[in-house]
Amino acid sequence: MRGIKVLERILATIPIMVGIAVIIFIFIRAVPGDPVDLMMGEGGYVSEEEMEAMRKAFNLDKPVHVQLYLFLTQTLRGDLGESFLKQVPVTDLILDTLPATIELALGALVFAVLVGVPVGVISAVKQNSLVDRVSMAGSFVGISFPHFWLGIIGILIFSVTLQWLPTNGRLDSGLSIEHITGLYVIDSLLLGDLELFWNSFHHLILPSATLGAAVAAMIARVMRSSMLEILRQDYVMLARAKGLSEYRVIVRHALRNALIPTVTVVGLQTGVLLGGNMVVETVFGWPGVGRMVVQSIYARDYPVVQGAVMLYAFTFVIANLIVDILYTYLNPKIEL
Amino acid sequence: MLEIKGLRTVFPTSKGEVVAAKDVDLTMEPGQIIGLVGESGCGKSVTMLSILRLVPHPGRIVSGQVLFFGEDLVKKSPLEMRRIRGKEIAMIFQDPMTTLNPVFKVGEQIRESLRIHGIMSEQAGSWPWGARYRLQAERDKVIQLMEEVGIPSPQARYHEYPHQFSGGMQQRALIAIALACEPRLLLADEPTTALDVTIQAQILDLLRRINETHGTGIILVTHDLGVAAEFCEEIVVMYAGQIVERGPTDEVIQRPLHPYTRGLLRSIPRITREKRKLEPIPGVVPDLANLKYNCAFYDRCDAALPKCEHDELELRDVGGGRLVRCVLY
Ligand SMILES: Nc1ncnc2c1ncn2[C@@H]1O[C@H](COP(=O)(O)OP(=O)(O)OP(=O)(O)O)[C@@H](O)[C@H]1O
Ligand SMILES: [Mg+2]
Repeated sequence: MRGIKVLERILATIPIMVGIAVIIFIFIRAVPGDPVDLMMGEGGYVSEEEMEAMRKAFNLDKPVHVQLYLFLTQTLRGDLGESFLKQVPVTDLILDTLPATIELALGALVFAVLVGVPVGVISAVKQNSLVDRVSMAGSFVGISFPHFWLGIIGILIFSVTLQWLPTNGRLDSGLSIEHITGLYVIDSLLLGDLELFWNSFHHLILPSATLGAAVAAMIARVMRSSMLEILRQDYVMLARAKGLSEYRVIVRHALRNALIPTVTVVGLQTGVLLGGNMVVETVFGWPGVGRMVVQSIYARDYPVVQGAVMLYAFTFVIANLIVDILYTYLNPKIEL
Repeated sequence: MLEIKGLRTVFPTSKGEVVAAKDVDLTMEPGQIIGLVGESGCGKSVTMLSILRLVPHPGRIVSGQVLFFGEDLVKKSPLEMRRIRGKEIAMIFQDPMTTLNPVFKVGEQIRESLRIHGIMSEQAGSWPWGARYRLQAERDKVIQLMEEVGIPSPQARYHEYPHQFSGGMQQRALIAIALACEPRLLLADEPTTALDVTIQAQILDLLRRINETHGTGIILVTHDLGVAAEFCEEIVVMYAGQIVERGPTDEVIQRPLHPYTRGLLRSIPRITREKRKLEPIPGVVPDLANLKYNCAFYDRCDAALPKCEHDELELRDVGGGRLVRCVLY
């Protein structure tokens, strides 16, 4: 029963994806003037043949409805065009850089949950205590300070002063790793190479914490307020009246309920973690999609930018879907 | 079995200290059913929660004793209290719709009570070989409990969530939770207020049957003197945090002593042919943070004397097992 509904929901995302593709398509064409002119405008001398080639690449020489049709079918086949700069398919470029981005996003997510949930719970349980006030002030910093600032402060403290953590890349230079999943922390474990694992893990910590700080702060705040609400509920009183330990009351009875609103935040932020990491990847020289996008924007490599935008939109849709499905497991009252 | 002496529970508020339970005295024998009656906000729930030491923050018990089989619960450590809650003294709450945890199966919530007090552990043997046997034994016991409290097809309903239960069924499940460890005292805090009348009667029947078969002592909190009259051997009337009258049910109903009890009795509707005018007690319950007179009922009382305003008041024994807090006696 639930399986069928999950499948339905997955199928329902297809029209959304198509819609997104159409919007991206319109966006490119809605740019005033000839997009090719615009793209090449500051590129110095461009020959007429090159312009023509580019029109072909974007199918701009054909009528609009044919363009749309071609764009959609190509996209559905996973063909996002070819990079101007590197002359390789955008899909390949994305597939090359995506694992690094996923690893960073997962790292950030793990950091955010591991920090945000306990901080939120403790702040709620010890409401108005010193711990609560310090945590909430900290979460304010996490939310309101920009990534690059947090990243640079992190580098100054943990890399420059304390010399604990590396500042750049995914592995020390000179080291390399066989790609299995593309997530180095996992691959090194699969290969049974602990040294590589530590190395990649060390590289992951600072970027993850920087990227995850805002999400951790958000989780802490949502967690705190929903926990405060839940702790006043009758069923928490019943749990106490049953003779449960305070730990069990909070972790088993209250936390499970308080997680429900938090899951929404986490899910939506997962999209942000995957798609909003340009700054962090650039600051830490992390070879992921975000850094590639930044480089492509500088190089005016539009097919790559467009492909990445597509990927980001896709990620948000999937993150939403996962939230919806997770929700039904946490809250029996809600059906898909 | 239970002896409360001079219990005083307060809530500090911005308007001043609210004394929600003011020098409450109460005694109760095993297997007895006592009715605790009073208007909304007079401190009935707070008194019950004080017995279990579960008064919500910032409320606290400032003085008094709660002797349960001779041991003072107020002095117990948190761990000792936990062993008593749910096992020796269980509580049923006012609103069944919000008292079951929405994210756990009803059966599991009942099983948790058995688990936490290790009810099935002895017969099951020790971990790890006993664990599976214990789980089964606990499940069987839950089914049996659900049957006992009148939940139909318990096998199936074990696996349902609270929102799939009606209010009456939820209250039955809560009673099953309370009964799981065969407590000696059951604090039933308005168990039927949120339910409709026919369900009310069924739940009260169920409670009476439990009292008869298990010998469980029950304190039934209600604001309905009619329910208390029908159900309880003894009635305790509370007003503004204080017990104002206490005595055997028949006596209190037929010959109420305290003017407040009399007022309460006059305000109960009865089903009769002739039209009888209901007489609500004039005025409203006083603000507990700001009591002006020594007798909290002074400004609503139809028998008030000038001396009521200042005279010392205590719960006086007037013979025949009756106690009353009023200058008239
Ligand atoms: N959490 C709290 N904070 C402050 N005051 C409280 C709190 N809980 C109860 N009180 C005070 O204690 C008084 C008694 O409350 P209590 O819940 O015991 O009333 P009750 O007799 O059970 O009423 P009801 O019939 O509505 O359940 C209330 O008037 C209220 O002022
Ligand atoms: Mg109450």
